[in-house]
Amino acid sequence: MGAVTYPDAKVAELVNNRMIPIQLMANVEPYAKDFNIKWTPSIITLDENGTEHNRVVGFLPPEEFIPAMMLGIAKVSFDLDRFDEALAELEKIIAEYPKSKATPEAIYLRGVTGFKSTKDPKPLKAAYEKLHAEYPDSEWTPRALPYRLIS
Amino acid sequence: MPEIKWEKEMDAALARAMAEKKPILLDFFNAH
Repeated sequence: MGAVTYPDAKVAELVNNRMIPIQLMANVEPYAKDFNIKWTPSIITLDENGTEHNRVVGFLPPEEFIPAMMLGIAKVSFDLDRFDEALAELEKIIAEYPKSKATPEAIYLRGVTGFKSTKDPKPLKAAYEKLHAEYPDSEWTPRALPYRLIS
Repeated sequence: MPEIKWEKEMDAALARAMAEKKPILLDFFNAH
């Protein structure tokens, strides 16, 4: 990560502007135990109270790291019921990184967020239809399968 | 070349996160 991804200009811009970055050695206690660190890199997204909302283990190149971190930001917003913020972040991932491995999960979470914020189930069906049509091999497509029945 | 401005202490990161209303990116790494 330190040789390829973190020196990337777009990565640095995202991290410096949108997040508070902190690096810790994997053996620094109490954090290694608190976060159950068994392998590196382990990259965790926390809210401002220090609660975990997303975790990535293993190397990601810049073009995957950026949407993965954006998904982490969206998950923080979603988990804290900040649905408008979550939707805005998810829309950016889907529009700007359609080929990313993070994008099918973003589509799924957009459907869930849309439903939870409006109580209208149509976003769930839309999520299934987009996943089925554009990401048939994603693990997120079968997870959305029940939503095909929504009328 | 822009560089990521890493915090080194959790308390400092949490204080900044609260003040700036931003999530934290916590990277556990292994020194080589």
